[in-house]
Amino acid sequence: MRPPAAIREKVLWLAPLITAIVLWEFLAGYVVKNPALLPRFSEVVFSFYLLRKNIPSDILTSFLHFSIGLALAFSIALPLGIGMGWFRNVFKAVDPIIEILRPIPPLAWIPLAIVWFHLTHYAAGFIIFLGAFFPILIGSYTGFRDVPRVLVETGKVLGCIGDKKLIRYVALPYALPSVATGTRVGMGVGWMSLVAAEMFGVSKSGLGFRLFNEFYYWKQMDYVIAYMLILGLLALILDRLFRHFVEDKLFRWKKGIVK
Amino acid sequence: MERRTVISLIAIGAIAVTVLLAGCVEKKNTLNLGYQPSTHQLAAMVAAEKGWWEEDLAKFGIDEVELFLFPSGPPEMTAMLAGDLDVAYVGTAPPISALYEGLDAKIIAGVQTQGSAIVIRPELVEDYERDGVLSLKGKTIATYPPGSIQHTILSKWLSDNGIDPETDVDIKAMTPSDAASAIGAKSVDVVFVPSPHPAIIEDEGTGTIVKWSGEIWPNHACCCLVASGTLIREHPEIVTQIIQTHINATEYINEHPDEAAEIFAKWQGADASTIKHSMEITDAQWIHDPHLEVESSLGYAEVIYGINRERYEAKGIEPLREADIFDSSFYDELVG
Repeated sequence: MRPPAAIREKVLWLAPLITAIVLWEFLAGYVVKNPALLPRFSEVVFSFYLLRKNIPSDILTSFLHFSIGLALAFSIALPLGIGMGWFRNVFKAVDPIIEILRPIPPLAWIPLAIVWFHLTHYAAGFIIFLGAFFPILIGSYTGFRDVPRVLVETGKVLGCIGDKKLIRYVALPYALPSVATGTRVGMGVGWMSLVAAEMFGVSKSGLGFRLFNEFYYWKQMDYVIAYMLILGLLALILDRLFRHFVEDKLFRWKKGIVK
Repeated sequence: MERRTVISLIAIGAIAVTVLLAGCVEKKNTLNLGYQPSTHQLAAMVAAEKGWWEEDLAKFGIDEVELFLFPSGPPEMTAMLAGDLDVAYVGTAPPISALYEGLDAKIIAGVQTQGSAIVIRPELVEDYERDGVLSLKGKTIATYPPGSIQHTILSKWLSDNGIDPETDVDIKAMTPSDAASAIGAKSVDVVFVPSPHPAIIEDEGTGTIVKWSGEIWPNHACCCLVASGTLIREHPEIVTQIIQTHINATEYINEHPDEAAEIFAKWQGADASTIKHSMEITDAQWIHDPHLEVESSLGYAEVIYGINRERYEAKGIEPLREADIFDSSFYDELVG
């Protein structure tokens, strides 16, 4: 008997996942046969047990670094993005600097992070800030730049006079979805910078610190993969939470525009 | 499908196959050697600068010896685990921790002993001269990560003097160049790094050398020469020649330290006078006898086992013995 379509759709993700795990276990156990190159899935699961004492504090430290970076990135990128998107001259003035700084990998900033912020949580936060800042900025200014002229004119006719009012009541609501998309991408890139942010000795715990300064050093590849999986799973949870609270709740009105 | 699409797909496929094959073919007849930018491993650079590696190994059909530079031992040993290095100049601790995780390799010769220094910020020298090691209590110390030679010696020195390395000081894991910038920025008070970095820091005026590692642990092993298990089993004659070339280079360093310093400066883009100064003040000894490194290496193996006990016991990994780490047979045969 085939399960009903609704259930089949709900467990659609399960089949590829199980296939991947079985394939991994098989490849590691019968083809590679060297846990230093590819540990088996079951070994990685066992290492979660061996590492149970470290995992909670490492996650907390990493969240601290992530929050510092993200809060800073958001609070600088949003006002700047509004300025760049709304005022043509601000955009013209600032855009070259932004475009020079944007492609520099956060990793390249490590020496400056050490000398500017010393070996503190802020140095790690700074590296994450660099990863998260630009996507949020670009999301914000494209949102504000693309406000349709007809909305602005309508706003003016209805009594929204002056930049301040127009930004607050016309541009901001229009731009919010774009800001949210930028923030979501920024969170992703910031999270990706986490290992780089923690690999130079800012703290004695943290997911990236443990992965890079301990497991990698000791060649404990099963531990490395276990922490990689934690990094991936936490990012997934963060993203789902963001989508749930921001996109599904805040932007309920948007539903139905496309689907 | 359109004809043009088919042709371009075939072209892309052909390019991919060529690139893959080129990667395979290239490996043949070359010997890959890993090293780090430290004067401890000068022998690798001196032999390369003089062209000795290629000259001596040509008779075995090796027409290229490629040198790979690594910032520290761990990534170098990862490359060896992946099968990318045939021989490596490296501290004795990183190969030992990699051996515990299944690295197929052995130490075939000694390279150098001692040669790291405790460097402290100039304003702390007065306290250090009055109270010695006890003045380091509460300070931030930068060195290589746990399990490295420097970290092991530092921890032993501190605990021998009643300072708990876990709680009484803040030890930060860093590469020597990061540690040099960190003491320059005053984000750490003390660094413990291998030559030439102590001299570089002193020349920059951001730190003062107060103690050499040989005073803490006399004649402790530092760098060694590691050969992959494949090379040892399949090409023993190449291993013997590598040791001979290494002996020649080591003797050349001891006879011509100034020239060796200039070679280092040229290879690593450092200032020649700083490196000469470093060579004069360091307590490093350039050696080639692996037997001189056995005792302290077994000490490191024990420390490393202690740190990872829970994991090793859970996985049934036994403590390493001399025969697991060293293969001195080539050296003994050569020297007699």
